[in-house]
Parts: sequence; C-alpha cells; structure tokens
Amino acid sequence: MVKLKIKLALFSLLTKLGFTVVFLIFMPSLFEWITLMQVDNDLIQKREKVITLISNIGIEPFMTADTANVFGSYNILKEEFISLEKIDLKEDENYIEVTNRLIEGEVIAYRVLNYSFQVDGNTYLLEVGKSLSSINYMSKNIGKVIIVFLFFIILITFIADLQYTRFLLKPLDMITNKLKGISDPSIFDKKPVRTTTSDFQYLDSALRELMEHIDQLFQKEKEITVNISHELMTPISVLRGKLENLLMQEDINDVISNKIEESLKTLHRLQTLVNSLLMIARIESRQYLREESFQVNEVLREIIGELNPIAEDAGILLSGEFERDLQLERANRSLIFSMFYNVVNNAVKNTSSGGEVHVKSSVLNGRFMVIISDSGRGMTDSQVSTLFSRFSTRLETSGNNTGIGLAISKSIADFHNIEISVRSVIEKGTTFLFRFPENS
Amino acid sequence: MNVLIVEDETGLANEIAAFLKREGFLCEMSFTGSDASEKIAVNLYDFILLDLGLPDYNGLDLIKEARGNGSDAAFIIITARGAVEDKVKGLDLGADDYLAKPFALVELLSRIQAVARRKFNMPNQNLNIGEFTIELQSRKLTCKGKEVIITKKEFDLLHYLVMNRNRVLTRNQLYEHIWGNILDDQYDSNFIDVHIKNVRKKLNEHAPSPWLETVRGIGYRVSM
Repeated sequence: MVKLKIKLALFSLLTKLGFTVVFLIFMPSLFEWITLMQVDNDLIQKREKVITLISNIGIEPFMTADTANVFGSYNILKEEFISLEKIDLKEDENYIEVTNRLIEGEVIAYRVLNYSFQVDGNTYLLEVGKSLSSINYMSKNIGKVIIVFLFFIILITFIADLQYTRFLLKPLDMITNKLKGISDPSIFDKKPVRTTTSDFQYLDSALRELMEHIDQLFQKEKEITVNISHELMTPISVLRGKLENLLMQEDINDVISNKIEESLKTLHRLQTLVNSLLMIARIESRQYLREESFQVNEVLREIIGELNPIAEDAGILLSGEFERDLQLERANRSLIFSMFYNVVNNAVKNTSSGGEVHVKSSVLNGRFMVIISDSGRGMTDSQVSTLFSRFSTRLETSGNNTGIGLAISKSIADFHNIEISVRSVIEKGTTFLFRFPENS
Repeated sequence: MNVLIVEDETGLANEIAAFLKREGFLCEMSFTGSDASEKIAVNLYDFILLDLGLPDYNGLDLIKEARGNGSDAAFIIITARGAVEDKVKGLDLGADDYLAKPFALVELLSRIQAVARRKFNMPNQNLNIGEFTIELQSRKLTCKGKEVIITKKEFDLLHYLVMNRNRVLTRNQLYEHIWGNILDDQYDSNFIDVHIKNVRKKLNEHAPSPWLETVRGIGYRVSM
C-alpha cells in the first residue's frame, strides 16, 4: 500500500521525466532545424546586401581580369565566405544546401546559399556560405546546459511537489489517523480537522456526522438492551425466587419437589436464552470493553482444563498443541474465553466415545490462528452454512441445545476482527479455524 | 444482622426477605429509592441489597448518600439491567459485590457471607465433614492430615455444598456458582454430575463419603 502523497509526487515525477526524455530525443533535430533557419535567414540577408551592393556599384569591381571572373572572400577563421562566379547557365538557381568545401587545404562543412542572377546579359552565381562547425559546437554546449538545467528543475520541482502535496494532504492524514484504531464510534475525535480544502472539510464533516449517527444508534441499542433485560429478567427473577423458596420448604414431597426443579430448569433455559440474545445485542452494539491484554494459549489451556473432565467422562481425548502464542492486545478476555469455549464445548458434545478433539495454535502466512478440530459426526454443507445463525444449528441432533452458542462465538469474533471458517465432512469431523487479524 | 432490601419489584423483595429471615437475618424492605434514602439516613444496616433499576432514584446515588452519612453498610448490587458499566461503576462507588438478576437465593446468601467475612474480619474457619477437613486458608482438602488432591473447581464445588449443608442444591445453582460467567446454552449439561463423580472417587480413595448425597431429580446435598 502506497500513500496518496507519494503516489502523486511519483506521478508528477514520472510525467516530468517522460516529457524530458521526449524532449531530449527530439532536441538535436529541433536545434538543428532552428539553427538552420537562423543561418538561412542570415544567408538570405547577406545575399540581399550583396545584390544591393551590385545594383549600386555594378558587377565590375568584383569581376576583374586577374580574378578570372571569380570573386571570393572569406574571413580569417573561415566561418563565412562569399563567392561570385560568371557561369553559363540558363536556369535560375536559388537554393540552400549543406556542402563540404575545401578551403586552404581544410574541408569544412558549410551551409551554402546558391543564387543566380543576370547582369548585363551575363549570368552570375552568388554563393554565400557559413560554417556549421561553430554552430554545432555551440548547440552541443547549449544542449549540455539544458540537460543539467532540466535535471535540477526536475529535482527541485519533485521536492517541491512532495512538500506541497504533503502540506495539501495533511488534513487527509489527520482524518485517516482519527479513523485508525477506532473500535467504537464514541471514541471518535469529534474535533473538526482544520483545512481550507473544501473536499476534506466535506469528508471530515460527513465522517463526523456518520460517527455521531452510529454512536446514537449504539446508544439507542444500549438503552433497548438495558430495558429489555430489565423487563425480561425481573419477572424471571421473581419466579425463580418463588420456586427456590418453595423447593426449600420442608413439608413437600418428592413429586412436588421434582416438579419444582423441572420448572426451575425450564426457567433457567429461558434465562440462558434471554441472556444469550442480550449478549449478542451487547456485543453488536459494542457495549463490552476491549482493554485487556493476555496470551491466547493461556485461555485455550484454561478451556481445555475446564472441559477435560467432561471429555474424559465421555471417553473423548481432548488435547492441545501450542506451536505459537499470541499476546492479544485491546481485547475482552471473558468474551474471547466464551468464543473458544462454545466451540470446544460444542466439539466435545458432538463427538462420540473414542473420538478426539484437538485444539491447536499456530501461525500461517504471518497470521496467528487457532484450529479446533473434532472427529465427530460432521455436518453437511448446508448445515455449515447456517451454523452461525441464531437458533439454526444442529437443533435436531443435540436435544435441548438452544443453538445460540456458535452465534455468540461468531459475534465475539466479529467484534475482535477474527475470521472464523468451518470445514466439515460427514462422519469424519469438523474443523473450526480462527484467523486473527494480521497486525495483532 | 440487619439487611435492607431496596427493590421496587415487591414480589422479588418478598422472596428475598422470606429466604433471609429463615437464614436468621433481620430484614426490612424499601420499594422506592426515596423510602430507602430515609431508612438509610435513620437506621444502621449491615447489608443493603440494592436494585439499580429503581423508578424514582438512581440506585448508585444511594451508595453515595449512605457513604456521605457515614454508613458503613455493605452494599450488594442486584440488577436486571445487565449494562456492563453498571458493575464497574457500582464497584467503583464502593459497592461490595454485584449480582445479576436472576440469581439463586443461595448464591445471594453465599455472597452475603463472603462479604461479611471480609468486612468483619472473620477468620476463615476450617470446615469438617466426616473424616475430611476443608482448609480455607490454604484451599486444601485433607483427610486425617493427608492432602486429598482435587482440582480447583472440585474444591469450589465441595466447599459450596458444605457451606450449604443440609440444603439441596440444584445442578443449576451449583453450575452458576462455579462457572458463573460462562453461558452454556446446552442446557442438559452433565458438568456437575461429572464433577461430583470425580469428587466422590477422590474422596472414597481416602475415606467413605456417605454424606455427599444425590437427591434424585433435583441435585446434590451434603448431610450432616
């Protein structure tokens, strides 16, 4: 995962580099084209000067007998030359070309303008040339300067871009920081982020409103659970008190006391059911605190210790294998205990004598996981798919099981961002896999 | 000992009072917070059983008032609200224990006794049953001076039964006392039966334990 500001800076760097590369590829020919244009203009101006001169003073001063109808002039460094020659040519010539000329034993590349004109019935060819070597040399130097300049420009703008986007995106960073580690909307920092960017302002205020809304919903849900709890538990406790007091009367016979105990059992079932539903509602509206830190294996060992007598009595081998451990932070120990307990308890109850229940903790792909497998009767795929929904578990097979234990485990796992997956094969057994979040 | 039951549900208050009276407590009842507030200001109580869900009063305020009056009554909060923070707040305010409704009356009694021992600095006396001794200080079970090795849960189970000797305890009452925080939805749990079986086996290796009785269809009882 790459941060937005880095992405933006990288993008601008890459586009700049791209443009630079394109520029560098086309620069030499562009340079050549521009300089040739300039040279050509220069040559044409010189031609005009010469023509004006000739029309003013005539051709004779150039064409003397000892020059044999040829006039030539070049400066000391042979950068430019002008030549006039009488030729026999009927066609008009007027073009510019690059040619090599041998001047005083030296071959030099020239840009040469050829122009023919007529004076007194004779045709003359005017050549105006300019050496390209000095021009090329200069353009090479300019090219170097430009490359260095571009490099610095890119470097400086990249740093500036990085700084500016960092400054620009700071409010976004603050918003993401506010969201990090939020386990409960009520602890969301309600202080608005200071920014002049309207998009961030909007994002921030929308988030705050959303959080407030969720918080209110949670509060409402909390009130509802408190009220439901009160309304349902109060009559149950009155009934329970009455029945327990009745059971303690000395003048009742066995038949009556058995009936009372049966009523108490039924009442207890109702109580457990209501408590389970309330527990799920409380977990889902995040009423439980998550502020404990503990070792997961220690919880697993405790559960195995608790359930071992039952397993032994049923002739089931309940074993633990702890390859790795995890120090769980910001969690609720009694909830995590219940989460595993329900699953191990379920496994023990669904395994017949001679079977096995195995609890294992290990690390796979960098994630801590707990695997609870049994050699029980297994489930069909459709049973697995509804395993975690309330009241839909193996009701038919497990007698009085209200089928809510696994739903509780699931909501506890969700509350702690733990993933649960189940694999089951009929007559072979079931495996529960708890995958803990990566950063834990 | 004087107990004030602050509970707006008269049906429950009556049952608690009837039970505690049988156990030898002096009981008074308040069905409203304001009535309780007056009673606490005037009378001295050893125990105040406080329902937090009073219609006219925030139950937690009663603790503050009582402490302000210099009352050193022990508060046991009994509530059906089940809000997680109620427990924390209540204990922070100086309540001595917390019991969620519905609870077993014998559980309430055992909490009261535990708080009383703490509060009035009563030494943990060893309990004798048959040839066995439950040593509460070291949490050990011995038989004629020899230690009987039992698990913590088995110890708790036996201790609870002996404390409530001559009273039948149902499997639920035993289960709730020992595994109180665990919600077992699989109601026909034979947890208690298995544990009692194990306890008996361990006891019988040292001496017979005819006093640990199974009361058919109901539960278990220690008879002495």
